Amino acid sequence: MAWSNNLFYIAFLSQIFLMSYYFPNKLLARMRYILATYPPEMYPKLYPWPIEHYKLAHLAFKYITRFIMLLGLLILFAVMFWVDHSTFADDGFISEAWPAAYGMIQFLPLMAVEFSEFSHFKQMRKANSATKRTAEFRRRDFTDLVSPGLIGMALLLFAGAILFDLYVHDFAVTWGHDTIQRALVMSVTNGLLVIVGAWNLYGRKLDPHQSAGDRIQRISVNLKSLLYVSMALSVFIAITAADDMYSLDFIDAVIMSVYFQGIALLSLGYTLNSIKPDEIDFDVYRNDAAIT
Amino acid sequence: MQIVIDIEDPNPPFAQLIEQVKQAVSNGQLGPGDPLPSIRQLANDLELNNKTVAKAYRLLERDSVIQSRGYRGTFVHPDGRSNSAVDLNAWVVEQLQEIIAAFRKAGITDPEINNAFRNVMNEQNNLGG
Repeated sequence: MAWSNNLFYIAFLSQIFLMSYYFPNKLLARMRYILATYPPEMYPKLYPWPIEHYKLAHLAFKYITRFIMLLGLLILFAVMFWVDHSTFADDGFISEAWPAAYGMIQFLPLMAVEFSEFSHFKQMRKANSATKRTAEFRRRDFTDLVSPGLIGMALLLFAGAILFDLYVHDFAVTWGHDTIQRALVMSVTNGLLVIVGAWNLYGRKLDPHQSAGDRIQRISVNLKSLLYVSMALSVFIAITAADDMYSLDFIDAVIMSVYFQGIALLSLGYTLNSIKPDEIDFDVYRNDAAIT
Repeated sequence: MQIVIDIEDPNPPFAQLIEQVKQAVSNGQLGPGDPLPSIRQLANDLELNNKTVAKAYRLLERDSVIQSRGYRGTFVHPDGRSNSAVDLNAWVVEQLQEIIAAFRKAGITDPEINNAFRNVMNEQNNLGG
């Protein structure tokens, strides 16, 4: 079907642009803004490494994401003009493996930024010579930081997706059936999200200087983002189940591409949008900052 | 409210924690029934060992300043305000002072008092008391 192929080209182009150009640019712009507005001379505690280290990391991130963007365009041209789709999928439609495999590659530099934060904070803790440690003497509960409605919605979608999958297969599934596999994938993924959420909520304070207010806001944004990702997964699973019922194989690749974009929007997009640099208390990174 | 622990303070961290919680309960910053952070949360936030915070909570519970309600967590005791004014350590010191004064008056020497004290403590420990 030519129209479904065209739809995939548009979706895949959007995936390339969103995850390898738009978000990396937004991230880089933010990193540079912070470096320019809160320089190491005035905010030394924010930079445990020499400034060249950060500049080099920014440059590496920029070129890696640009390279991945070019790779995406190359894949798009290959899918459009060179690839014989019947070798990748029996039905001859564009395989969903293309946007899935490429999406995973696109997430790599974004995840690297996330992981580099851990070593940045570790270095910050190492450099921290303060003998006083502070903590808010207040219990952090999941429901204080995330609305119960949102939690209920995520649970409902989780159960709904599994029930819908069973329904479209007339509740006649045996061990090893796709429905069981999907339910297992959902359960394991949601289990991991719960672990990450609990770690955010009760885990170690990574940034030793972060103000209590900023920390609470960051935890709340992270928890909401995890819930949105869980909800997106449930919707994706329900659509995949509907795929079996209505034989939507011809748009499998489109669905996969949209799913990856949705995950990026709900995780990175939501976080970038919710945490503005100008709302963060950077005074805690000054040398003369009082303990927080 | 904020807890501040100075790791270079001669007072150990668990004692600093107890003191600050008692102060907060006694001046009304923490009211009866207010929930307390979990041991793990507070230990992670203060970069202390779980056992240190657990020890402080245990001693605050012994003094009836806080109370544990199983899986629901730990809360300020209904009588926490009045109980936070009671200093059991000061009471122990006061009792010992009186007893030691009585022993000395009876002519018992300091090494004899020390030995007797150590023996009684050992006996109590062996009995699990």
